[in-house]
Amino acid sequence: MLKIEGLSKSYNKGEIKAVDNISLEVKKGEIFGFLGPNGAGKTTTIKMIVGLLKPDEGEVVLDGINVWDEPMKAKERISYVPDNPEIYDRLSGVEYLNFIGDMYGIRTEVRIKKIDYYSEIFKINDSLGDIISSYSHGMKQKLVLTAALMTDPDLFILDEPMVGLDPKSSFNLKEIMREMCDEGKSVFFSTHVMEVAEKLCDRIAIINNGKIIAMGSMEELRRSAKEKESLENIFLELTDNE
Amino acid sequence: MNRKLVSLIKTDLNITFGLSSLAYNIRKGKRIVPMAIIALAVLSLFPSYIFVVRALGSFYDAFRQIGQQSFFLHVGFMSAQLIVLVFGFMYVMSKYYFSNDLPHLVPLPIKPSHIIGSKFVSLMVSEYLTSLPIILPFIIIYGTRGNEGITYWLISILAVITLPLLPLVISSILIMIFMKYTNIKGKKDLIRTISAVVFIALIIFVQLKLNQWTTQSIIDSEDFMFNLARDANLLLTSAGIMYPPAMWGALALSKGFSVQGVFNLFLFIGSGLVGFALMMILAEKIFFDGLIGNIEVSASKGRGKKLDSSSVLKTGNPIITMAKKEILMIIKTPVYLMNSVGGVVILPILLVISMVTGGESYEPMKEMILQSREILILGSIGAIGSFGVLNALGATTFSREGTNMWIQRTLPIDPRVQVIGRTLPSVALQVVGGVLLIGGIFFIVPLKIFEIIIILVLGITASVPLTMIGMTIDIIRPMLEWTNPQQAMKQNLNVLISMAIGTLFMVGAAFLGYLLLPDYGLFVVLGLFVIIIVLSTVFIYKLLVNLVKTKFMDME
Ligand SMILES: Nc1ncnc2c1ncn2[C@@H]1O[C@H](COP(=O)(O)OP(=O)(O)OP(=O)(O)O)[C@@H](O)[C@H]1O
Ligand SMILES: [Mg+2]
Repeated sequence: MLKIEGLSKSYNKGEIKAVDNISLEVKKGEIFGFLGPNGAGKTTTIKMIVGLLKPDEGEVVLDGINVWDEPMKAKERISYVPDNPEIYDRLSGVEYLNFIGDMYGIRTEVRIKKIDYYSEIFKINDSLGDIISSYSHGMKQKLVLTAALMTDPDLFILDEPMVGLDPKSSFNLKEIMREMCDEGKSVFFSTHVMEVAEKLCDRIAIINNGKIIAMGSMEELRRSAKEKESLENIFLELTDNE
Repeated sequence: MNRKLVSLIKTDLNITFGLSSLAYNIRKGKRIVPMAIIALAVLSLFPSYIFVVRALGSFYDAFRQIGQQSFFLHVGFMSAQLIVLVFGFMYVMSKYYFSNDLPHLVPLPIKPSHIIGSKFVSLMVSEYLTSLPIILPFIIIYGTRGNEGITYWLISILAVITLPLLPLVISSILIMIFMKYTNIKGKKDLIRTISAVVFIALIIFVQLKLNQWTTQSIIDSEDFMFNLARDANLLLTSAGIMYPPAMWGALALSKGFSVQGVFNLFLFIGSGLVGFALMMILAEKIFFDGLIGNIEVSASKGRGKKLDSSSVLKTGNPIITMAKKEILMIIKTPVYLMNSVGGVVILPILLVISMVTGGESYEPMKEMILQSREILILGSIGAIGSFGVLNALGATTFSREGTNMWIQRTLPIDPRVQVIGRTLPSVALQVVGGVLLIGGIFFIVPLKIFEIIIILVLGITASVPLTMIGMTIDIIRPMLEWTNPQQAMKQNLNVLISMAIGTLFMVGAAFLGYLLLPDYGLFVVLGLFVIIIVLSTVFIYKLLVNLVKTKFMDME
């Protein structure tokens, strides 16, 4: 599904190497967790996948489509939920959803079905008529999630999706992610929460200082580490390189 | 003044004029290009300024011939204070009620009057930038041509310094009252925008009526000519009824160091100081009433009710949806609405005011317009076309996205949709502006139906490439890092740059028209314009689509 090869990005004219030659592959029907300490390069990597940040080097390929050569084709199949849900706060929820829907060309019936479904799950259908600036942080996030899911993406990319969601909603989100994978879609998300990654992900990559230092299923990660009990211990062991 | 107030003033001046960052930039050699552009823009205005000042000289001579020089000064004071007043409304509104620092200032233990006081000081400084270029030529022409003595110059310094005081006080007070009584839960923005328009219309109407009435009564009186010869200040005092402070200023200067002169100077300065004191008292009482709740929005009707999705979820054409989203954002953001609509509405309004109130002095201009219908038509087309840059919508369309830009960049939106969808709102505004302008022209001369059609159709299409010029500049250097929508619109250099380039474009077209008109006539010139418009639209459109494609990838 998604293939990243030799991806690099530096900021401030090469002063900060945020992402350093990383390669990974997310398969069809797979939930892929992207772990790393603060400043490791998770957000930077995700931005290069969704078209927000042009890589210095390397390629991002989605089912044979180079994301940076054919952005329109790629974007039609990707949905992205950023870590900070900055959206048009002067629009109402409905206006925002209609805007996104029209840009993806989603038919009205599909739109109604999807929005009814997801807004019910996230409990925001009461506020969809309100202006977005009256939403709480979590409500905004749920609106972005609803909009992203409405487009029925083949690849769902989320940056720290659990931060700011209440336990019930984050449980529901995890369910949704599972359902998507069962339908043959793929999910790629970054997180700090070890338990989430451990329970949810088919495969995990750990990134530190811009480099991938471990990758594989939980089993494979356990095998390669000394501390074997939990992902948390593996993570601490691997990223503690001082 | 206590220490808190002084430090507030200092901070506010620093923020407003970006002194710290300016010093930093100069030291680091950064942002040289934008600064150079500003300098260039200012310089490019200089020739036309000189031209206007020269014209003022002959204006003075005309008044002198009838012995009414003092009226010349009055016109100066009047125009300068009027402009300060008009700008004052906009400055005060954004500075007192919408600036960035307010959420930080309000919780601090600072008196409301001190917040207002400190903001007032930096507004005064801003207003000098508008008032000085207007009043100085009047004072200098009057002083040098009339060989005035040292007292004249001394008094004039005082008068110039205090000139913005009263109008700024008036606008502050009116805005504070306005904000207090429109601070209604619910549709606050809409109420405010509509009442602002009504308010301005009302002022203009009263102004017109008063003016008509006074000029009429002066000229009607049988011994007008006789009185004119006898009383050197007749024009001044009769016009001064409308707005005495300008008269006081003019008399203070023209009477010099006499009882009457000093008395008028006293009135001129005193009225400002009294007004200032009044404003401070009022600030203490009502400033917070209008401010608090500005940040709170209406989470309204829907709460608790389930959405009837099948009635509100509708599919639309992406281009139209993009345009609709832009228009919604503009309407729902008062700063955007006022600036864009303001830029388009002001010209027709000024036209009407000057024609109706100007009375005799505009006769020659009227005559000229009446004589050449061709120039009237071409000029109107140019004016409507120029709205394309004046409304500032094109030059801020990407900047206005701000932190929401990621949405535009991650959605599968065809660059053509971006370009056309973002051009349409500007064009829609030109339709409004065009109709208003036609209405304004009707005050001078009735137009024929086919003339109206030519003006509207060509004017509106001419605004398309001009809007796109703005968009081109905005996509090349979008200003996305803002926290207050004001910054995207008012502090956006792209607006200025697009105006400069747009002016060049229009001057070029006008010059061609000027060369061809005498020999080939109106229709050849119009045909040429159509060709220019079509070719430039196609060219800029192609350029823009490519720029959107590449810049959307390259941004960080
Ligand atoms: N706009 C930027 N300009 C300069 N450096 C940046 C920028 N954005 C990120 N960086 C740097 O790049 C590195 C990686 O940042 P990134 O945001 O990708 O980390 P992250 O893994 O998402 O961290 P977090 O868990 O805190 O979200 C950091 O060293 C950061 O300082
Ligand atoms: Mg991050």
